[in-house]
Amino acid sequence: MANTFTRTLAALTGLLMFAAIYMTFVFVPTEAEQGIVQRIFYFHVPCAWVAFAAFGIVAISGIFYLWLGGQIWDDLGYACAEIGMVFCTLVLVTGSIWARPIWGVWWTWDSRLTTTLILWLLYGGYLMLRAMAGDSPQVARFAAVIGIVAAADVPVIVVSVRLWRTIHPAVLITKQGEHGLTDPRMVATLLVALAAFTALFAWLLLIRFASLRTRSRLAALERELNLAEAAAGDL
Amino acid sequence: MRARPIAPIIFLRILAPERADPPMAGFAAVLRKDLTLELRGGESTLALVALSILILIVMVFALDPAGGAADAPIAAGALWVAMIFAGMAGAARTVLAERDNGCIRALYLSPLDRGALFLAKLAAASIFMIVAEAAVVLMLVLFFNLDFDLRLARMLPALALGLIGFAALATLLAAISGRVHAGDLLMPLLAVPMYVPALIAGVKASAAALGGAPWSAMGQWLRIMIAFDVLFVAAGFILFEHLLDED
Repeated sequence: MANTFTRTLAALTGLLMFAAIYMTFVFVPTEAEQGIVQRIFYFHVPCAWVAFAAFGIVAISGIFYLWLGGQIWDDLGYACAEIGMVFCTLVLVTGSIWARPIWGVWWTWDSRLTTTLILWLLYGGYLMLRAMAGDSPQVARFAAVIGIVAAADVPVIVVSVRLWRTIHPAVLITKQGEHGLTDPRMVATLLVALAAFTALFAWLLLIRFASLRTRSRLAALERELNLAEAAAGDL
Repeated sequence: MRARPIAPIIFLRILAPERADPPMAGFAAVLRKDLTLELRGGESTLALVALSILILIVMVFALDPAGGAADAPIAAGALWVAMIFAGMAGAARTVLAERDNGCIRALYLSPLDRGALFLAKLAAASIFMIVAEAAVVLMLVLFFNLDFDLRLARMLPALALGLIGFAALATLLAAISGRVHAGDLLMPLLAVPMYVPALIAGVKASAAALGGAPWSAMGQWLRIMIAFDVLFVAAGFILFEHLLDED
């Protein structure tokens, strides 16, 4: 049952991804000022969306874990933190590739770049905690607290870094309500790419979540077996 | 038995009265215990002061400032570097000290409110850090050739807010780092990214103050620090109980 769903999702992701690649490289017109480099935008923005969504789910599952308990919430948070980290890395890499020809530098301390880097470091810390501390309900609670506090810290980080400096183009929506995507084909390509990356996220999450669930069940069985063996030894 | 210093004891009595109403009683008891422990040969404050001054000296070697008001931004930066890296080692001590001899378990078994326990630890860490910061500011004036004038006083709100925020963050994270494998490595990895907003705001506000800028130039930065402090004190107050639970 789960396998059929996973396969269907995989097929959907594949189709959408091919469509997104076709639209990015063939269908969409080249942007007038930035040229061919601008096409990386159709991967950059969906990666950012997936990373933020994943980090959001980490916080939400952390709240549910502390509130309701249940290993399932911890597994969900862990899976999302890992996937979010991958996509956050991709955001930084694609951004850097774009910035070199456009801004003339690989990296600059712009507000969105800085915020993304801080996020990357925050969830890197989260994953380090999980990797170094091992598996136990205690570590799961620690991770839930870190996930919640990190997400709560994000608005303050955004405001402080924005006041600090900003030069990132407001591509999607500016304060005047305009957006930088002049051609309707650009909007269409972005939407398809967003759908493709969202499907990819869902598919990866399903696989990773299932494997973490299996691991948790295995750990529970091992505990049960140890208890049974200890009881048998007492006889 | 050693003679008990009178002045600090009076200070303790005022700050943490022995007979307080129930909600405050636990807070006062833990804070009184931590401060008494520190006054009777505790090493946290001394280590904090020494480490802060050492970091300040390292910053002077690294940046080689000419000194004077022109170097105010550098001085402010050095001050905050000293504060967070010394604080990392010092502010967490109030929680980590409970780990020895399993005291943390005794605290957990006591009917003490977890939020009150967090606030007591936060208050103790803040007091240790205030002492360290006073020493650092004094050394900063000497090393960077600043003047003892109103500019230093203007830096106080930013310092106080940054210190409380850092103590809250360090107390919260110490409950984690004290109880996982290689936790002392994890502490800075988690604390520094989380402290970024207060760090940016603190450096900017301190540089403005040392540079002689008016209060209005600091307003937006102080507001960020207040938001950060409220967030982390509230988060610690609410979530500390989940960090203390044992299985």
